[in-house]
Amino acid sequence: MKIELRDVRHVYSPGTPFAVEALGGVSLTVEPGEVLGVIGGTGSGKSTLVQHLNLLLLPTSGQVLVDGADALSMDRTALRRRVGLVFQTPEQGLFAPTVEEDVAFAPRRLGLDEGEVRERVREALGLLDAGHLAGRSPFALSGGERRRVAIAGVLAMGPEVLVLDEPTAGLDPTARGDLIGLVVRLKASGVTVVIVSHDLDEVAEVADRVCVLGGGAVRAIGTPADVFYADTSPAPTTVRVAAAVGERRLPGLGRPVRYGETLAALRSAMGGTG
Amino acid sequence: MTAVRGVGQFYPVGSPLHELDPRAKVVATALLVVGLFFVDSAAGFAVAGTAAALLVAVSRVPLRVFLGLLRPVAFIVALTFFFQVFFLREGPTLFRWGFVEVHEGGLEMGLLLSARLLILVTTAGLLTATTAPVALADGIEDLLSPLKRLRFPAHEVAMMMTIALRFIPTLGEEAQKISRAQAARGADFTSGGLLARARALVPILVPLTIGAFRRADELAEAMESRGYRGGQGRVRYRELRFRTRDALALVLTVLVVLAAVLL
Repeated sequence: MKIELRDVRHVYSPGTPFAVEALGGVSLTVEPGEVLGVIGGTGSGKSTLVQHLNLLLLPTSGQVLVDGADALSMDRTALRRRVGLVFQTPEQGLFAPTVEEDVAFAPRRLGLDEGEVRERVREALGLLDAGHLAGRSPFALSGGERRRVAIAGVLAMGPEVLVLDEPTAGLDPTARGDLIGLVVRLKASGVTVVIVSHDLDEVAEVADRVCVLGGGAVRAIGTPADVFYADTSPAPTTVRVAAAVGERRLPGLGRPVRYGETLAALRSAMGGTG
Repeated sequence: MTAVRGVGQFYPVGSPLHELDPRAKVVATALLVVGLFFVDSAAGFAVAGTAAALLVAVSRVPLRVFLGLLRPVAFIVALTFFFQVFFLREGPTLFRWGFVEVHEGGLEMGLLLSARLLILVTTAGLLTATTAPVALADGIEDLLSPLKRLRFPAHEVAMMMTIALRFIPTLGEEAQKISRAQAARGADFTSGGLLARARALVPILVPLTIGAFRRADELAEAMESRGYRGGQGRVRYRELRFRTRDALALVLTVLVVLAAVLL
């Protein structure tokens, strides 16, 4: 499914002394099947933006279109099933006595029969390498395990689009790597992924397109190479290294972004000398 | 992100009422509230009502804030009015229809009790809308401090109040965040019967309670690591100053209360 935001503005607490404009006219398209990385500093409007993708927040003005149709007139519950949103620190929402029951919450709400619910739970936990945790209490798990279980709780709905808001914040490097692997697997299975992150290296590894937010507006959008090489001050390590070495000193280096690409580009550009 | 602006919260606009010493405001509110229970005439309520209306105007807090405050009380007011009007049988009969009788005394009592409740809530709302929670707690601590001699833990009580007040919006935000996260998982809090709705709250209440305990732990550790040892020898960043205008406000309050009670 394709989600389009057209000139979306969002003001918190409008009409009071506490009014804050979090988004000031954002236009953005999430293409089906892509991995879209959303980056930007704290307070740039990232979290506000992603909550418009499944209409948990309604735009103060502007339009949200899903496959070309106005999303505001659609059934919200149905839309939220199709667009799975994983909030920052989603493990704070765990509540059931066992992991299995917690993950089953969403599919049960869908009204699926018990067999189908179990199948969904098994599948979602499997995708996150958390199958062995099914019978445990979510409150007895480690931080990384709880995060995975919480993400499984959203995946169990079988969303067409998965929105991850800072999924790796506060995780150890191994757990981060696992999550990035999950994004790659989801994309391969046809799920559209929107990933919000502060970690540019992480975004560089998975994103097909990158959107830079700043002060509630889109500052740049395009392929990772276009966006990161246009302004290398906040760029992934790979891009900073490649840009510092430079095309002039190493002809044929190109504009690699991912770690593997960069390594390969450096090796081939350095040729026999390396 | 979204601030949860609940009922009875501080409304930071500049007004003469906001400027007053919190101690003066607490005492004045207490006088008005206690005084209201001794007012028993229409003229007295007219004075008290006018005073409350004037204070609302002076406070520059929008009227809808007070309307929001009165909404939850509306039911109680309606109920009180209903019982007084239909079940108090004093004075000449105004209206009779089958077994339903409305007497003059009942109508009068109903109106007076409703007025008392409405003015009471507005007055209390004025205090919290025009006084920052921290200032309010400081003021109360100061007023209670003579009781320290009787081993009353004035500082601890004030600190508990400050923290509780401080965490109302935080917990509100967290509740909102969790309910959004559960809504994203298909939770529905608005449909179904009473039991279904109560059950729908479990996925919010469990994480919220756990979060509250976690926060309490973290806050205690943060306070201890910054050397908090209770009230002994603690100084304040903002010193309270009782000025002429505060005294004037108190005198005015006393006059209004006396007028309302005596009329």
